[in-house]
Amino acid sequence: MIETNATPQALASNGQGTTDKTNRGLIWRVVQWFDARTLGLYAVMIAASAFFLFPLVWMFGTSLKTIDEANASQLNFFPATPQWQNYTKLFGEETFYRSYFNSVFIALIILLGTVTSVCLVAYAFSRLEWKGRNLVFGLMLGTLMLPAQATLVPQYVLFHEFDWIRTFNPITIPGFFAGGATLIFLMRQFMMGIPQDLDEAAVIDGANPLQIWWLVIMPLSRPAIATITVFLFVGQWNSLLNPLLYLQRAELFTMPIYVAQKLNLQESPIAWQDIMAASVMFVLPVMVVFLLTQRYFIQGIAFTGTKG
Amino acid sequence: MLTLRAAPSFPRALILGVISILVVLGVNVISLWVPQTGLSIEWVERARTLVWSAGTVVFILTSSIGVGTFAASVSKRLGHTASEQRKVFWGFAFAGPWIVGFVIFVLGPAGASLIYSFTDYKLGDSMQWVGLDNYRTLLMGLGAHGRRFSQAMYNSFYYALLGVPLQIIASLIMALLLNASLKGMKVFRLVFYLPVILAGGPAILLAWRYMLASNGGFINEILKSGAKSFFLFDWLYRGFIYGVEGFNGFYAGIARGNPIGPLAYTIPALLGGAILLTMVRGDWSINRRMRAWRTAEIVGMIVTVMLMARALVQEPLDPAFILMAGVISGSMIAINVWQGRARSALVWQIGTILGVLVSVIMLAMQEISGYGGNSTPYLTALGLTALPAVLTLIDFPEAFKKKAVLVPLGLMVVMGLASVMPAQFGGDSAGMLPRYLVLGSVIERADDTEYLGETLPDTMPSPLWIWGLVAVVTGAVAATHTRYPNIRRALIVFGASGFMLLAFSSLIDGFRYFQAFESAAAAAGQPVYHFALFRTAVAEWPSADRVPLWLTSELWSKPSLILITLWSSGAGMLIFLAALKSVPESLYEAAKVDGANQIQRFFNITLPMISPAMFYNVVIGMIAALQTFESVYIISNTQTQDSLSSAAFFLYVRTFRQLAIGEGSAVSWTLAVIIVLLTVLQFRYSNWVHYEVES
Repeated sequence: MIETNATPQALASNGQGTTDKTNRGLIWRVVQWFDARTLGLYAVMIAASAFFLFPLVWMFGTSLKTIDEANASQLNFFPATPQWQNYTKLFGEETFYRSYFNSVFIALIILLGTVTSVCLVAYAFSRLEWKGRNLVFGLMLGTLMLPAQATLVPQYVLFHEFDWIRTFNPITIPGFFAGGATLIFLMRQFMMGIPQDLDEAAVIDGANPLQIWWLVIMPLSRPAIATITVFLFVGQWNSLLNPLLYLQRAELFTMPIYVAQKLNLQESPIAWQDIMAASVMFVLPVMVVFLLTQRYFIQGIAFTGTKG
Repeated sequence: MLTLRAAPSFPRALILGVISILVVLGVNVISLWVPQTGLSIEWVERARTLVWSAGTVVFILTSSIGVGTFAASVSKRLGHTASEQRKVFWGFAFAGPWIVGFVIFVLGPAGASLIYSFTDYKLGDSMQWVGLDNYRTLLMGLGAHGRRFSQAMYNSFYYALLGVPLQIIASLIMALLLNASLKGMKVFRLVFYLPVILAGGPAILLAWRYMLASNGGFINEILKSGAKSFFLFDWLYRGFIYGVEGFNGFYAGIARGNPIGPLAYTIPALLGGAILLTMVRGDWSINRRMRAWRTAEIVGMIVTVMLMARALVQEPLDPAFILMAGVISGSMIAINVWQGRARSALVWQIGTILGVLVSVIMLAMQEISGYGGNSTPYLTALGLTALPAVLTLIDFPEAFKKKAVLVPLGLMVVMGLASVMPAQFGGDSAGMLPRYLVLGSVIERADDTEYLGETLPDTMPSPLWIWGLVAVVTGAVAATHTRYPNIRRALIVFGASGFMLLAFSSLIDGFRYFQAFESAAAAAGQPVYHFALFRTAVAEWPSADRVPLWLTSELWSKPSLILITLWSSGAGMLIFLAALKSVPESLYEAAKVDGANQIQRFFNITLPMISPAMFYNVVIGMIAALQTFESVYIISNTQTQDSLSSAAFFLYVRTFRQLAIGEGSAVSWTLAVIIVLLTVLQFRYSNWVHYEVES
């Protein structure tokens, strides 16, 4: 390959590059590391990171300002004297605790119900051979195309008929029915990759599918379970539309509604520092969960995109 | 476990079903008892949720086993072996949670909403059958709600057609940056992705709202200080303001009602003319001709569906639209039959028959809901439309089929042409076509805004479309017909010259219409006429102290929303990144050896190799853009609500604030159909996606 097409120049630079990296000493390598291209690239990356991070920094900085500072038209990220009492004021609010607890409560129930049922259904679609599987699976993939709006209105009517408006049920219960075709699909793709010999051995030992599911497949699917758990949690924590539609009662409000309602356009000047303090508290758990589990997150997304 | 293995039977499945329902009833009783414990409201609800959750688990268990038993007994009835029955049982039992949920939460509601969409259902009121009234209001933009809806659709398409490409470019650039081998890339990847996690929730949207404040907001302060310190940046900054305001002013003009009037109907003529002219220049290669034909088929499909939909909601019923749809579908069938493409022909045949059936059913529903007009011409047109499909579906000899199609087609073209003749020749339109062919104007009352705004645009489409169709047919025949080159050339020349004349004169009339409308509106003292925003925006170069108005102005609200989505385009980035990492290094090395530079390598290797990821991002991005809701809810205020409102947001307002369930259902079905159609089209047209052959 090389002898026919390569120009002498390309050959030379190729050879040079490899020897440089392997044979020189440590100091030389550090020096080389800072060549113009790398430096430029780092500059671009840092500028981009600033763009992605500045709303967060600004949010946190504002939450420590006084109301005058928050509405002043100068650029200061952090106030000279941080007003921590913005937070103590927030912690003094009963509605804040209530909304926080509601959010955590709902998220826990949904996680439990959805993850279990998704694993059950994905098991049926990946490890069991049965007549009608392709039909049901095709139907499930079809629902991916159906926009959420198509069922939003009649679901509301349905829950109205059930007398479930102003309760948590419309938000928690549908999850138990393996809500979310994407999650099932992701889980199925993962379970397909587990070697088939394992359940064959279990069948010989006299295990039924339920036992195989619980004793063989579930322990091996931990990474995928972690992925869908994190996805679900973030989606649930951020979700605004459904709680807004169904809760309709101050006692049941979740954090997204609480935060959104902090913005009261009637008052002037707007108390941005309070809104931002609530926002920081709202964002915090998601950030922590994300930073702790980012590996699963990034795997999961790359997985859906390339395999789907 | 023993009971699970027992022989499947229908009564057993029935018993399980009854048990499931009893579980639900029992849970309901318990949850009704909870409030009597004297807890505070939130604790009552939390406790009830726990009760309901436990009940749901039991319900799912029994009903899933029920589903499994039922499926197994069906399989027994079908004569499968015992081991197959057992497999069916386990399969359906495990998939049971999804199946039961699908029936309760998707299938049932979707069916119900289809029914609601034909009623004026309001929560708490009795239902009244209104036929197609809801769809008519929405699709024709009637009344305040109809206008709001069309504005919302314009906004949604703005997000989809402008926002999604920008988002894809941004995420691709981010992925390319991250793909460089540098130390600390993982940290950068984390930072780039972080916004996606946050952007789903209201907190960060509020922060954006705060930062985008036009006066003293963070972004504008940065922009201003940048403009003050560096003159080149100042020029760019002012150019940006000018461009954004001009573009959005123009877009707002288009989105408002029916402002471009004749200009809109120029588009088919212009397109057709351009295509025909390129064909005059020389013969096309077979590949190019096939590609053109496929494009024509797709465009034809969209136009046919649109015409049929429009014909359905028109009141009084307008046979012209059906005639036009019939000409397109008929000629597509004819051409496919002549060329011997049985499968494409079948798609068109079945599609046409389904469309006609739906139309007839809808017409029957109209009659039930008390439509008074004369439906005979409409039915005739429907019959003529169905005829080519029926004639070619029946097993006649090939030669007969090929000739038979021509009869209804010819009839329809004659009827169409007759309807656009001047009155003295027996036509019923204003003779628009002949007037256009001598470069005349059709505007009769140039100082009457009512006439200019409503009546004139309504009379425009039928003649222009019919002319467009005739030309499309000649063009399609010319493009595919090769046996007699002279006839072909003559057809092309005839089509192109007629077309160009029409396009040219309707273009002139379009500008006449603009001027007439705007001066009439200004004279009548109407405060905001269609392009007023555009005019003021482009009247002068922005002065030094101008700032982007972001969330407070109609001209800046949509760009603000797109800016926020750009900030959070990390999900697409990760998918691109995964794809980039899987491009084999050997390809780049081979290209380097061949002397390809970096740009060539990017366009010839990287882009084709990551095209599946690109496709995925486009499809997902479009769907998400059409469903935009949260960001509109948070960042809109009373002035900008209409200019930001997406279709999903309109749905929310209409259904859940004004409780119009019937109209809301119609909105959701319209939106669903649009999304599904777009997705199907993207898949149909995805031959640019390069799938690697599995080794």
